[in-house]
Amino acid sequence: MAIHRPCGTFDYSYYQSKAILRTRLQWGLLLAFIAFLYSFYFWANEYILSLLIVICSFVIGMLGLQIITGYAGQISIGHAAFLGVGMYTVGCAEAHLGLNYWWTVPLAGLVAAVVGGVFGSTAAKLKELYLAFATLAAHFIIVYVISNWRSMTRGTDGIWITRPTPILGLDFGTEAGYYLWALTACVLMTYFATNLSRSKLGRAFVAVRDNDIAANVMGINIVYTKMVAFAIGSFFAGIAGAVLSGYYAYVNIEWFTLDDSIWFLGFLVVGGFGSIFGAISGAVLWKLLDELVASRLSEMLSGVLGTEAFYVSAAFSLILYALIIIVFLVFEPRGIAHRWQIIKASYRLWPFSY
Amino acid sequence: MVREAGDIRKVLKKREQRYSYGLTLLRDEMERKGWKPPADEEVGKKVVLRAEDIHLAFGGLKALRGVSIDVREGEILSIIGPNGAGKTCLLNVMSGFYRAQKGEVYFNGRRITKWPAYKIAEAGLCRTFQNLGLYTGLSVIDNVLAGRHPHIRYNSVLSGALYFPWASREEVRQRAIAEDIIDFLEMHAVRDHIVGTLPYGVRKRTELARALALEPRVLALDEPLAGMNLDEKEDIARFVLDIHEFLKIPIIIIEHDMGLVMDISDRVIVLDFGEKIAEGSPREIAQNPRVISAYLGEEGR
Amino acid sequence: MEGVLKCLILGICSGGVYALIALGYVIIYKATRVFPFSQAAVLLIGAYVMYQCLIVAHLPIAVSVFISLAAGAVAGLIIERLCMRPLIGQPILAPIVVTLGLMLLIRGVCLAIWGGDVYGYGEHFLPGGSWQVGFLNIPQIQIYALVIAMAVVGLLLLFFNKTNTGLAMRVTHEDHLMAQNLGINVRRVFQYTWVLACLVGVIAGMLLGNIQGVGLDLDANGLIAIAAALFGGLESIGGAIIAGLTVGILQLFTIGYVARFLPGETTMMVPFVFLLLILLFKPYGLFGLVRIERL
Repeated sequence: MAIHRPCGTFDYSYYQSKAILRTRLQWGLLLAFIAFLYSFYFWANEYILSLLIVICSFVIGMLGLQIITGYAGQISIGHAAFLGVGMYTVGCAEAHLGLNYWWTVPLAGLVAAVVGGVFGSTAAKLKELYLAFATLAAHFIIVYVISNWRSMTRGTDGIWITRPTPILGLDFGTEAGYYLWALTACVLMTYFATNLSRSKLGRAFVAVRDNDIAANVMGINIVYTKMVAFAIGSFFAGIAGAVLSGYYAYVNIEWFTLDDSIWFLGFLVVGGFGSIFGAISGAVLWKLLDELVASRLSEMLSGVLGTEAFYVSAAFSLILYALIIIVFLVFEPRGIAHRWQIIKASYRLWPFSY
Repeated sequence: MVREAGDIRKVLKKREQRYSYGLTLLRDEMERKGWKPPADEEVGKKVVLRAEDIHLAFGGLKALRGVSIDVREGEILSIIGPNGAGKTCLLNVMSGFYRAQKGEVYFNGRRITKWPAYKIAEAGLCRTFQNLGLYTGLSVIDNVLAGRHPHIRYNSVLSGALYFPWASREEVRQRAIAEDIIDFLEMHAVRDHIVGTLPYGVRKRTELARALALEPRVLALDEPLAGMNLDEKEDIARFVLDIHEFLKIPIIIIEHDMGLVMDISDRVIVLDFGEKIAEGSPREIAQNPRVISAYLGEEGR
Repeated sequence: MEGVLKCLILGICSGGVYALIALGYVIIYKATRVFPFSQAAVLLIGAYVMYQCLIVAHLPIAVSVFISLAAGAVAGLIIERLCMRPLIGQPILAPIVVTLGLMLLIRGVCLAIWGGDVYGYGEHFLPGGSWQVGFLNIPQIQIYALVIAMAVVGLLLLFFNKTNTGLAMRVTHEDHLMAQNLGINVRRVFQYTWVLACLVGVIAGMLLGNIQGVGLDLDANGLIAIAAALFGGLESIGGAIIAGLTVGILQLFTIGYVARFLPGETTMMVPFVFLLLILLFKPYGLFGLVRIERL
């Protein structure tokens, strides 16, 4: 299965063969799409914008999990907790150190990266399944620490923070303004992730995923690589948490339960395992479903069933997502991204167009 | 197409001609790092890799009992022996994958017994696997580039994410070296194919390419001819000889095929039940009574 | 002293149930190399169905037990048939995510049908009250739970060691392909495995529903039992039993002594910290099989 380039494009140099976007058409489409996304600032209403902001931050988080699990092959059942670490770094830094929001964002990423690296260093001793349990343990430990370190985190009360201060006259207090920041962060992080995937580290990740014993003997330091995978993935999660916390202006660990970690993993697999597009599509699907179920379907069901609707809607999201994940895994285990590749390939090859 | 007339050896020795079948880029890279091909008097005499008195046991099963071997400059050394003799175990101990209970390994004068496996590979002891440890999700060229990993010089996290120009240039340079290896092994047609989809023979060559990409100072091949038909065997033998000719590094071959062993080795070591029972030139080995009894059984049975 | 003894005994009692749940995990992992997170939710099935039969429908105990077991068996069959069989041969992530999804699916279904309240069995199933043994006050329910759990464990051990099917399951664990060559119907074995494990889970759920009340939080016990299954070693039945008892004792000691030093809700976290510590010293669990990697 060779790489399908659009017909007629051949690579004349190594630079070209490495490129993500090869033809001018691809560049044009991408820039047009990004411009379209940015244009939402002007014409979309608050509801759509808030949805998009949430999508942006979860895309960043999902990219992080893609790096840990999709590229490096380390199953992480605790990813939501790292978003929580990012959020709480923002909250604590603002509450205790009085830092401006813009300074806390990279700090959130770094702190989450350190915590992720610490748990990832257990990869030195633990293999696959046992490492997955270490991440499960990580989730519980992090949630416990955050919930109970009252002096730092105010426990389960949560921390109120302010919306980010204006830069260059752009007001981030409104939905539209904040959307610009969220979208920029998302585009940047996607760019980083794509670069990483085709760099030396990206190859090392896939090598560790495919055959880590052989990789060790072939010159790749697998302990370091696994740790770095966790650190980078958690960095992304931290940034995602920071973006989310700035929007809600409130930080609370109860948003990130074990269920959320499981949805992260589940929708990553639904979106597609091992590709940037897969991570993005998984996150978008998840949050769109969230919005749909939370607002529309609950209303419908409560109209139908009366007072018992409270349980039913909570249960409904559980059942629906779980069913989607299971059905996808049974019928299309390589996810949406793979389907998309097939569609693209069939478009390019039918009927043997040249 | 370059046309040259004259003695073939003299033509090949002309380094300014970029014949892509000569591993020139790889060799330039190695010389840039300070490696020099061995002087003529060192060939066959100076010891590059030495394993002393290796004892390896798995629980009660003794895989190696006091094996000592040495590998000398510029030679092709074959290690042979019946199945279960401990040949792969010996190689695993030397490359750092197993830890021997007793014994030391020295590489270019340094004691590498306790070194982690990836450091040993970086230092130049590179090997292939009997059962092909390839990265099945990557393409052939990516596998070779993954082999280049310890020699690629840029800080991976920052430069990788931000794609600084120097990272980009370094990637292109490494790509050229990897392509050099692929040209040498005549795998142009499959370079972009995912390894998981390729047949066994091509995979074995990818394995060899990856070992070459690590800039070996000593190359160890674990059963390179296993599962090959006659044509492919001759191909691999030719590649091994070419590598020996172009890079002038010592090559260790673990093999069962006596034809190859007798034809191309400079020295042969025979293991049986975890012990070294004979050592010497191929002719001496073929006439050694202990070797004959180990392989063929004793007289009168 | 009396406190320590009480913790010990109560710990063994609750550890017995944890051992049972851990056995469910180990059974499936041994045979199919899939770690079934969904077992945590099978507890819920047992508890809720039992509640439905016993309290809501006022059926006699024997019938209720039978219906609950049947529900568990059906659940096991459905899970194996629809979710696990299509995934044979996929990389390890796929079955893990599916079982995680199943855990949440079952939880969602229970939530939808029975709502979020906590119910009880009252006196209908296991007797309440406590016995006075010397200076100790031991609730009867715990002892009954321990006895029943250990009886089931004993039955399982007998099953594995003495019957043909048990032998088939042990062989399948070693090597699926070889088992097929020996004439063992591997698919049938997988079915039995899942059904058996779900039965075990349902029984544990019934017991736990009685002790802790029938609510959605029961699967926290399942998660704690994961810690037990792991640090006993995933391939070892004996290890799971010992680990379950240990975790039970650990929980009780934590509640009794350690909890006053640590703020907040420690019951979920402590077994996992303990698990991490053990794994750092023995990466395959206490009795797990150490894999020698071959190149």
